[in-house]
Amino acid sequence: MTLGAWRSSVAMAARNLRRNRVRTVLAVLGVAIGVFAVATLGVFGNVLALGADDAIGDIGTQVVLSPNADAGVESLTDADVTAIRRAVGEPAVVPLRSDGAIVSGATDQQFATVYGVEQPGLAFTAADGALPERHRNGAIVGASVAESLGLAVGDRVEVAGAQTRVVAVLAESQTFSPVAPDDAVFLPKSAFTGTGYDQVLVVADSGTTARAAAESIRKSVNAREERVDVFELAAIVDEINEFFDLLGTFLLGLGGISLVVAGVSILNVMLMSTVERRQEIGVMRAVGVTRRDVLRVLLAEAGLIGAIGAVVGTALTVVVVAGLVVSTPAVDTEVVLDPSNGTYLALALTFGVGVGLVSGAYPAWKAANERPVEALRS
Amino acid sequence: MYSVSLRGVEKRYPGGGTEPVIALDDVDFAVEPGAFVAVVGPSGSGKSTLLNVLGLLDDPTAGERRLDGTDVTSLSVRERTAARKESIGFVFQDFHLLPTLTAVENVTLPTAFDPGDTDERAATLLDRFGLGDRLNHEPTELSGGQKQRVAIARSLINEPAVLLADEPTGNLDTETGESILAEFERVKQEGVAVIAVTHDPIVESFADRVVELRDGVLSPGADEEAPDPSVRGGP
Repeated sequence: MTLGAWRSSVAMAARNLRRNRVRTVLAVLGVAIGVFAVATLGVFGNVLALGADDAIGDIGTQVVLSPNADAGVESLTDADVTAIRRAVGEPAVVPLRSDGAIVSGATDQQFATVYGVEQPGLAFTAADGALPERHRNGAIVGASVAESLGLAVGDRVEVAGAQTRVVAVLAESQTFSPVAPDDAVFLPKSAFTGTGYDQVLVVADSGTTARAAAESIRKSVNAREERVDVFELAAIVDEINEFFDLLGTFLLGLGGISLVVAGVSILNVMLMSTVERRQEIGVMRAVGVTRRDVLRVLLAEAGLIGAIGAVVGTALTVVVVAGLVVSTPAVDTEVVLDPSNGTYLALALTFGVGVGLVSGAYPAWKAANERPVEALRS
Repeated sequence: MYSVSLRGVEKRYPGGGTEPVIALDDVDFAVEPGAFVAVVGPSGSGKSTLLNVLGLLDDPTAGERRLDGTDVTSLSVRERTAARKESIGFVFQDFHLLPTLTAVENVTLPTAFDPGDTDERAATLLDRFGLGDRLNHEPTELSGGQKQRVAIARSLINEPAVLLADEPTGNLDTETGESILAEFERVKQEGVAVIAVTHDPIVESFADRVVELRDGVLSPGADEEAPDPSVRGGP
């Protein structure tokens, strides 16, 4: 029954809207602009945040631990590494020895950081060749070093005077990390003398896990004595994300203002049209149409204005965003097609209809509750 | 049983000064089914107020109002709306059709939001009033007389007990007015009580009975030979 009543109401509302086309179109345009503003600014903000996220990469997924020289710790022992492993749980723990050395290719040579690592596969990925599960011989070369020395898998390379072969070239690092693998050469742990480690890398799958790992290291490994320095970027990433959240909210707020203006224009249109149709509404009430049904028709009118405007505004947004992707190569298509952008479209669509209903509520209520005697007298 | 009756009805409005305006003063009025009563009187005599009170658009300040035997003196807004739809048909001087709706849709307006389809009945009614070929015309495509016929069809869609007409011929030429009054004759033959408020002497000539309102006091019309038992003037 309610469904039928709604259908009748919407049909009647649609005709009422067609009566004053110019006014209706202008009100629809108002909502369309408001929805467009909310949707585009929302999507733009989101694209910015996603793009930044992409650029920063997994900056926040690594925790770098080093001996705390202030506390007199010169290097980290196997016991420390075990304690760290126990503390972090899931994430991979990669102890590193490091030194500086001259690295020579066939023609050129350069200074590079040299790391001793046992399980390079846990922390790095190869662009060329394969990373051995246990690094026993040969050198793994960082992307920049390989490029400047013209090294490829199988080439001879001299590290600190010792000859060896390149077994793998690392992919360019997406991560900002004090380890800087691009400018480093990774040798087996056995290439280094001594027992301690200069750095321990904790590699997590997400910023949250990394943060938890860092927290738990502070609590357990550093419980009695500050043995390790904990360097993590998760906190910085958090701040960056917070900034983008703020930016997004700010942009949405800007769009929201235009939506409010659109709401006021619907309010104005509905008030005008209910005043003009005062007698008609009075007649409806006189012949037995209930207040609720009158309210329904008028709400349907405002809702239709909101809905049509919202659909137009959303469609316009899709067109503009598509145009942006086509005209700006810097914008990653994948980032634009991210499902989270759809949320902003849906949000704008909902707000458009909502603004219609909210702005229409008062005029509709007022008109529906007017006494038919008064309405007919005019 | 009367279709509609008022007993000792008063209607006072708060006036500008200290004295309230008395629009209806102890009015006793009753119309039996199938009767056509014309209410005449000068402007400001309370005719519209009487019609509004009879039509459940306004409540009396004092007295008793009955509709189809039921006491409807004080109803809630919702109950009044339902009672109007159920038992009362309105015909206005300005026709008051909704410009966006076709003839059929205007006729079905009172039931437009209810379940069930009354289009067929509306078409039958319009056909009866000679508008069988105008069913889907909008009001702007209809003449004054045709509009008023649509309005009468609308007032009858719910088979009311009472048809209230406010200057039904006021906007029509004499000939069209007479044809509308002829329609009222047919309506009343179906047992509907027809009450018309009018200045038009032709309406009086069609009415079974004429009563006169003067300063809110109801009295049998001047040309009435003997007071009708159903109409009692003020004491």
